[in-house]
Amino acid sequence: MSLTPSLKLLTLAGLLSLVTAISGCTDSAFESSFVYSQGTLSLMREARDGTKENLGVKRLLDDRFGNPQHLKAWAEMPIDFGGALTTVVEIKELPRGRKVIKLTVEEGQTLPAKAANLKFVTGGFAGAGLHVEEWNSETGEATVTASESLTISASDICAVDGGTVLTAGRMLYMRHCSHCHGTSGDGNGPTARYMTPKPRDYRNGVFKFKSTNDMSKVSRNDLSRIVKYGIPGTYMPSFLLLKDEDHHAIIEYVRFLALRGEYERKLVAELSSDFSENAYKSRINASEKKEDIQKELVEFLAVDLKESAKTLGADLAEIWAAADTEEAAIVPSVARIPDTPESRRRGRELFLSKTLNCADCHGIDGAGNGPQTIAFEKNPLKADELYNEPGLHDDWDNLNQPRNLQLGMYRGGRRPIDLFSRIYGGIKGSRMPSFKTTPHEDIWHIVNYVLSIPFETDPGATGIAPSVAPESLVPPAAVTVPAAN
Amino acid sequence: MKKFWALFFFFWPTVAIIVCAIAPSRGWWFPGAPMSRTGIQIDGLFYLILIIVTITFVGTQYVLGYALWRGATKDPREKAFFSHGSHKLEIIWTIVPSFILVFISLSQLDVLAEIRVISKFPEKSTKVAEVKARQFEWRIRYPKPGTELTTEENPGDLYFVNELHVPTGKPVIVNLRTQDVQHAFFSPQLRVKQDAVPGLVIPIWFDVLEVGTYDLVCAELCGWGHYKMKARIVAQSQSSVDKYLTQLTADQNADGTKSEAAKSGE
Repeated sequence: MSLTPSLKLLTLAGLLSLVTAISGCTDSAFESSFVYSQGTLSLMREARDGTKENLGVKRLLDDRFGNPQHLKAWAEMPIDFGGALTTVVEIKELPRGRKVIKLTVEEGQTLPAKAANLKFVTGGFAGAGLHVEEWNSETGEATVTASESLTISASDICAVDGGTVLTAGRMLYMRHCSHCHGTSGDGNGPTARYMTPKPRDYRNGVFKFKSTNDMSKVSRNDLSRIVKYGIPGTYMPSFLLLKDEDHHAIIEYVRFLALRGEYERKLVAELSSDFSENAYKSRINASEKKEDIQKELVEFLAVDLKESAKTLGADLAEIWAAADTEEAAIVPSVARIPDTPESRRRGRELFLSKTLNCADCHGIDGAGNGPQTIAFEKNPLKADELYNEPGLHDDWDNLNQPRNLQLGMYRGGRRPIDLFSRIYGGIKGSRMPSFKTTPHEDIWHIVNYVLSIPFETDPGATGIAPSVAPESLVPPAAVTVPAAN
Repeated sequence: MKKFWALFFFFWPTVAIIVCAIAPSRGWWFPGAPMSRTGIQIDGLFYLILIIVTITFVGTQYVLGYALWRGATKDPREKAFFSHGSHKLEIIWTIVPSFILVFISLSQLDVLAEIRVISKFPEKSTKVAEVKARQFEWRIRYPKPGTELTTEENPGDLYFVNELHVPTGKPVIVNLRTQDVQHAFFSPQLRVKQDAVPGLVIPIWFDVLEVGTYDLVCAELCGWGHYKMKARIVAQSQSSVDKYLTQLTADQNADGTKSEAAKSGE
């Protein structure tokens, strides 16, 4: 009847959807990879890719962090990869090839309530996984079916459901974060180009808004606040409605990306001065022999870099882990000074004072229009060159003007402690320095003044004129306007 | 085959009757029962219109089906009858629908005025917060407890994001504005929808009937992140809201010293 052609169409559509469903199941549809930094790519080929016997930067990185499809858990890193690391205590044989493996977990950790797989880290089965058929979280007994060739023995280390947090984090990150922050956390996702300010490039391991000392890394709690509450004044929205475990997974994955990026930077830093393409060229120009340089590089890769790969990892692990300790947290020695007109006045005096010189960037009325904003800055990456546009820049080389404090928009949070932390610890990656030598009382006065700025009827209405002579606030003299590009 | 088409056109209005009859009880039309008083009225209007269009649809379809059936069962040798139209019929099918349309537009005026016209807002409503939409989140500002909400920000105002707490059982006003492009404040369960227009402060009022958590989503395509612009409205008793605001005040005044941490940890 007339239905036949439409039936055909339906079948065709059914087939098509089946095919897409099947291909959608494999990971290939979401194939993605981590990119290497500009620094890595600027190295000599052997330093990048390694030689026959020695690993280059790329392999060192991939061996420790993997790629998005096959993430690797470098157990030394202070990241909650998920699951638990356990040790095999004994193996009981059951009929028909089934085995019960009894596991113990390190003190302080707990076994997960549910478990789906075991992944062996050491022993004859290292690198392979087993499906868990039955799981008893109290006794730590996993029932598995395994072939004869299974060579598990007591004291083998295996992960129970290892990497669940990291892979969950990756899925959430790809959905919510990667279109701005990029698959590798390089702040260069597809939507990044439409944004000012630019999304954060995690690979420096530097995060701006943190409650830890100026030399410390960002704490998990700080990242959590950013993810939950967003950053007003930027494109970073709030992800408050995600579940707590999702926040946790995303933060661990961001830490993973940050550590990967920072590890890469440190490796490159070991090599770049002598073995970058540019260094190579200038060494050739300085009439060094090609063979000598290559021999030196091979030696460096075999000995120095191999050693550095270990120590750099250990160093990174230590400083990142330290960020979550009590010692790293900024705790004012005195409670906030009551927010009185006197305190604000004192704050404004300090704001304008020559020693702190806040007004140099933030302007005498806090409008973010101090003389530095129209001065041409030296480009720290290119010796003796100025930036093409006036104003202050951040570590990522983007124009990053001081905050206009009149708007009442506080990117790192509006709590007094947030402002205190901004002043005390500075803002990493930006030109906002740390004022950790300033007495805490004085910082509180400034906080009180800054919080009052948006509500001043007139600029500086706290009643005092700038105590510094206006001349000291004119732009620095040595300013030359570079030719336009 | 001829009869098939006649039956085909009888079949669909029958399905329509069945669907319309069982839909309300199965909750097919709406995301749950209306959770505000205006929501109940809006649902009432919806069902009124649904009844009218169902009757119209079913009526016209049955007439169509009947005409087809008559044609299908007629002796094929019988000569076709050609009519050049009927003035009477045309007048009827012009006037009847226009009466229906005028009836619909008049019957919804009261509800529309109650929702949209500021002078018709309930007298005893409280301004609870300002909701500022931006790409892609909802920034909430509560007035300092004990003070009135104003368009301008005031010292001591409380700020939060993507979570709006409102008391139940009384009309509340939310000042809606946007920081960038057009957005729309849409709470499906509360049946509240209002565009946020750059440069305007638009008050919207609603009264939440039951304690609970309701969705707040953006209903105006506002950019690539439109889909993720989601918040929640937490409706709770006035005392719980007050408690929440007290906690928010404490959080917002945190100065990071131990005593403060101990206080907020209570």
